[in-house]
Amino acid sequence: MATENYERIKGKTEHHSDVSLWFALLFLLGFGLVMIYSASSYTAFSDYGDQMYYLKRQAVAVGLGLIAMLVVSRIPYHFWERFSVLGVLASAVLICLVKTPLGVESHGARRWIKTGIPGFNLQPAEVTKLAIILFLAVLICKMGSAIRTWKGLGIMIAPPFLLFLMIWKITNNMSSALIVMAIAAIMVFVASPDYKKFVLLAIFAIAAAIGLVLLIKYTDILGSFRAGRIRVWLDPESDPDDKGFQTLQALYAIGSGGIRGKGLGQSMQKLSFLPESQNDMIFSIICEELGLLGAASIMLMFTILIWRMMIIANNATDLFGGMLVSGVIAHIAVQAILNVAVVTNTIPNTGISLPFISYGGSSVIFLLIEMGLVFSVARGIEYRGN
Amino acid sequence: MQKQKPRKFSKTSQKKVLVLFFLVLAAFIFLFARIVWLIQNNETEYQKQVLSQRSYDSRTLPARRGDIVDSKGVKLATCEKVYNLVVDASVMTTKEGKYVEPTLTALDQCFPQLDTNEIRSFVKQNPGNQWHVVLKKLTFDEISEFKALQSENKEIKGIWFEEEFRRIYPGGSLAADVIGFTRTDNHGLYGLEEYYNKELNGVDGRTYGYLDDDLNLQKTVKPAVDGYTIHSTLDVNVQSIVEKYLKKFNEEHKDHYHQGNGAENLGCIVMEVNTGNILAMASYPTFDLNNTKDLSALLGSVQVEQVDKENGYFEIKKTGKYINQELLDEMTDEEILTNLNYLWKNYCITSSYEPGSTFKPFTVAAALETDSISPDSYYECLGSWQVGPHNIHCHNRYGDGVISLKSAVAQSCNVAMMKIATTMGAEKFSKFQQAFNFGLKTNIDLAGEARTADFLRSADEMDPSDLATYSFGQNFNVTMIQLATGFCSLINGGYYYEPHMVSKITNTSGVTVKSIEPRVLKQTISASTSALIREYCQAVVTEGTGKAARPAGYMIGGKTGTAQTYPRDGNDFVVSFIGFAPVDDPQILVYVVVDRVNEGKQDNVGYAREIVRNIFTEVLPYENIFMTEELSAKEQKELEDRKLENTLQYGKAMENPESTETPQETEQEKDPVWKSFPIDPATGYRKDPNTGELLDPDTGDPINSTMKVIDF
Repeated sequence: MATENYERIKGKTEHHSDVSLWFALLFLLGFGLVMIYSASSYTAFSDYGDQMYYLKRQAVAVGLGLIAMLVVSRIPYHFWERFSVLGVLASAVLICLVKTPLGVESHGARRWIKTGIPGFNLQPAEVTKLAIILFLAVLICKMGSAIRTWKGLGIMIAPPFLLFLMIWKITNNMSSALIVMAIAAIMVFVASPDYKKFVLLAIFAIAAAIGLVLLIKYTDILGSFRAGRIRVWLDPESDPDDKGFQTLQALYAIGSGGIRGKGLGQSMQKLSFLPESQNDMIFSIICEELGLLGAASIMLMFTILIWRMMIIANNATDLFGGMLVSGVIAHIAVQAILNVAVVTNTIPNTGISLPFISYGGSSVIFLLIEMGLVFSVARGIEYRGN
Repeated sequence: MQKQKPRKFSKTSQKKVLVLFFLVLAAFIFLFARIVWLIQNNETEYQKQVLSQRSYDSRTLPARRGDIVDSKGVKLATCEKVYNLVVDASVMTTKEGKYVEPTLTALDQCFPQLDTNEIRSFVKQNPGNQWHVVLKKLTFDEISEFKALQSENKEIKGIWFEEEFRRIYPGGSLAADVIGFTRTDNHGLYGLEEYYNKELNGVDGRTYGYLDDDLNLQKTVKPAVDGYTIHSTLDVNVQSIVEKYLKKFNEEHKDHYHQGNGAENLGCIVMEVNTGNILAMASYPTFDLNNTKDLSALLGSVQVEQVDKENGYFEIKKTGKYINQELLDEMTDEEILTNLNYLWKNYCITSSYEPGSTFKPFTVAAALETDSISPDSYYECLGSWQVGPHNIHCHNRYGDGVISLKSAVAQSCNVAMMKIATTMGAEKFSKFQQAFNFGLKTNIDLAGEARTADFLRSADEMDPSDLATYSFGQNFNVTMIQLATGFCSLINGGYYYEPHMVSKITNTSGVTVKSIEPRVLKQTISASTSALIREYCQAVVTEGTGKAARPAGYMIGGKTGTAQTYPRDGNDFVVSFIGFAPVDDPQILVYVVVDRVNEGKQDNVGYAREIVRNIFTEVLPYENIFMTEELSAKEQKELEDRKLENTLQYGKAMENPESTETPQETEQEKDPVWKSFPIDPATGYRKDPNTGELLDPDTGDPINSTMKVIDF
C-alpha cells in the first residue's frame, strides 16, 4: 500500500520533491525556532542582556544545517560508503578528545569539544549517531546472509556497543549512548528477516528493566546516582527541590497548560522556574503555552516525517539506501519518543533533546545532514523512475 | 546501473519498517494519552502550583514623609532621596565571572570607603545571592560617577541602587528638642515628629500582580500618598536668636566651677501672649538631629543612670558626675543610651522644677481675684515668719519693712506672699493653682509632656507650711510650659490659651487639611486683676529685682525666680526670669530657666535675666514692635553693635541722640541692711550683731546656715 502510494505521487511530477516531508521538516524547524525564542527570551535577557541570544544562535545552526542538507541531498549517497569505517574511527577519536584540553565543560558535564568557531562547540555523540548509521548500513550490505546467524548479530552489534561504552564512560552521557545503541538495534531489526530473536530480546530487556526498578524500589543495594534518579521517577515529589525539581516543574507546566494552553509566549514556568526550558524541556513549554493541540501537532508532524521517510526507505533502490533511511528514522523516532517520555515522567529523567526543536547546534546540524541523506536516497528513486 | 547487482531492500525489511512506523505511532498515541491523563488529573492542582511559585512582584512604594516648616515656610525637617548600593552576585557571576573584576574596579574607584576584597569573597561564596546591601544612604551626587561609568562600560554588571527616603534636618541642631527625629522605619521620636507622626507619615503604595478571571497576571500600581506638611508656629529667626544666647551663656560659664557645661540645663520659651503660639523653644545641652547618636553632644552633661525599682518601674537618677571623654569611654552601650535618651528630651516640657518667685504673681492674682486682699494692702516683713513649727525666712533676712502689695512683688517678699496665701486659705489657693493648670498638662502638641499632678498637694492635703511655701513657688514642681502659659493668661486679660506648636497642616499640593486656630480654654482672672499684675511686673523691672532685664527701647514687665533644689542644704539653685513686652499691651513672653549654673554661687538671678534681656533686644524689633522708650547713648551704641537691621526706625533716638540716660544707670541701688554690719576681723566676713552669724560678702546670707529657703 505504502509503495503504491509513493509511486502514484512520483508519477505526477517530473522533479519530484516530497512536499509532505518538506512541510513536516520545515514546520518542525520553524516551530522549534519560535518555541526557542518563547522559552528562552526571559532567561536570555537576564543572563546575556539579549532576548534573542538563543534564537540567533539556533537560527545560524539551522541555516548551516539546511545548507549542509541541500549539499548532501545532491550527492549520490553511495559516495559516503567509503567513509563508513573512517566515520566510526573519527567519532571514537572525537569522544576521546573530550578528555583533552580541547574539551569544553558545561552544565557540570564534559561533553563538547571546541571547533574553533567561536560560540559553537561540537558534541561528539551527535557525530557518532550519524557515523553509526552509515557504518551499519554499509556493514549490513556486506554481511549478506550471515545476518541471520547469532554470530552475524554479534558482529553487527559489537562496534556500536563499543561506542556505546565510550560515550557512556568517557563523556558520561548515558542517554546519548543508549540512543546510539537503540539506532543500531533498530537497524539490525530492520535488516534481519526474523522476529523471534528480537521479540525475545525485547522481552528480556523489558524484564531486566522492570527487575532493576523493583530492585531499586524495594532494596537499597544500588545507592548510586542513577538509582536516585529511578526513585525520583517513581515519586518526583519525594525530592521536589533537588532531583525531582526539573521533572516536577515540567509536569506543572504540562498540567497547568491544560487543553487550550496559556497562549504563545504566556508560559510562566519558563520564567526561570523550569531549567533547560529551551532545551530538553522545551516540549513541556509547548504544552504549557499551546496546550494539548500544540503537543498533538508536534507529534503529528513527527508521525508525518517518519511516515514519509518510511515510504522513501521502502522505495529505496537498494539495501544501502533503505538501511540509511531506516537508521535516520530510528534516530529521530527514538529521540522524539524518549524526549516526550522524559518530559511526561513516563521514564526516568535523562537528557535527551527533541529533534529539530530543542536548542542545540550540533544536534540540529547533524540531524539535517541525515535528512540530506534521506533526500539523496529519495532522489535515487526518482532518477530510476525516469 | 551499478557495477555489482545491488542488493534490494527486501520485502521483509519493508514490512519491518512498517512495523517500526506503527510502533512509533503506538508510542506517540501512548504518550499523547499520558499527556491527556496528566492534564485531566492534575490541571487545577498544577495551575495552583505554578501560580504559587510566582512572586507577583509585590513591592512597597515608599511614601515620602511630610516636611516640617516654620511659620515663614523655612524647612525644619524634610526628606531627600537616597540610594542603597546593592550587589547582585547572581548577575555579576554570569559569563564565567567576566563581570566581577571590571565591576569591582569601578566600585573601588567611585566608593573608596568600600572594601572590594570583602565583596569579591562574598560574591565567590554566594554566587546565587541577588540582594546584598553594602552601602546605605548614598546621595545622588555620590552615585552619579558610578552611574556614568556603568553606562559607558558594558562589563559593569550586578550593581543596583535601591531608592529610599532619608530624613534630613537642614537646621542641624536648630530646635532639635522641638522637632524630634525619626527612626529608620519613619517612626517619629520626640517632639513634633512623634506627636504628628501619623500626619507626617503618608500611606505607602504598592505594586502588585493579581490574576484575572482568565488566570492572566495583571499588574497594578497603587501609588503612595505622601505625608502632610506640618506648619509650625516656630520662627527660625527667633529660635536662632534664642539658641545663640543659650550657647553663648554656655560658653561663658562652662568649666568654671567644675568640668562641664555652663549649666546643667538651660531652657527658654518664647511665646505669643495673645495666641499661645510658641515662637521659639530651646534648651541646652542639645544635639544634632542629623547625627543623633553623636556622643560628643554628651560631653559636659551631668551623667544619669537608670535605677530599676522592685515594682518594675525605673528611675533616672543623676550620678553627680559630669561626662568627659574618660567617663564616656568607660560607659557601656546601655548607659550611653540612657544618657542619650536624657539628652533627647525636651527640657521645656519634660523636666519639672520648683518655680520659685516667678510664681508670686499667681499668688497675688488669685488673692486679688478672690477679694482676699485689696491692691492697697500693706505688709510688714521682718525677715522671717513663723508658720507652725517652721520659721521661714524671707530672701532678705533683715526684713523689707512695711511694703505695699506692689513692692512685695517688685522686691519679691516671701513673708508678704505667705501672709497673702494664709489670708486666702488653702481652698481658694488650690483652686487657682488648678485654674492656671498647675498639676495638669497643658496639652501642648509635643510628645513627652511631663505629668506633674504628683508634685502638687491638693487643698485637703496641704498643711499651713505647704501653703506658706507654695505661695512663693517652693515645694511643688512645674514645667516651663505650664508656667509660661499660665503667665500669659496673667497678663493678657485672663485668657488661658492652649499652647501650641503647629498652626496648620497642608497636603503635598499645598491645600490646608487642618487649620489650628488659637484656642482659649478658660478665663483665669479678670481683666482688671490682669492690669494690676502687669503694673506689678513692670515695677519688678523699674524698681525691683529685675532692673537689669529691660532691653533698649522697650518697657517690659517681668518676674525673677530663684529656687533652691533638693537637698536644701546644698548650694544648687534654679534661677529664672520671665518677661513680657510691651508692658501695657503684652505681645511676646520670654521665659528663661538656668538650672544649676556652673559657678560657685548659683543663686544669682542675673544669669537668667541677662539672657532674657538679650533675647528681647533682638526679638522685639524683629517682631515689628515699636520702641516706646528713649534710647541712651549707650543703648544706641549697643543696638548698632548688634547690627540689628530694623531697630532704629522705631526708635525716636535718631531724632534725639542726646537723650537722657536710663534710670538703671542714674539710680544707684540702695545698699541692703547687712552691708552696714561690721566686718569680723577674724574671718574677714561681715558679722550679724544680733545672731553672730558670718555673712557672705556677696549675698549677705549667713555662711554655714543649715535650713534656708532663699528666694528673691
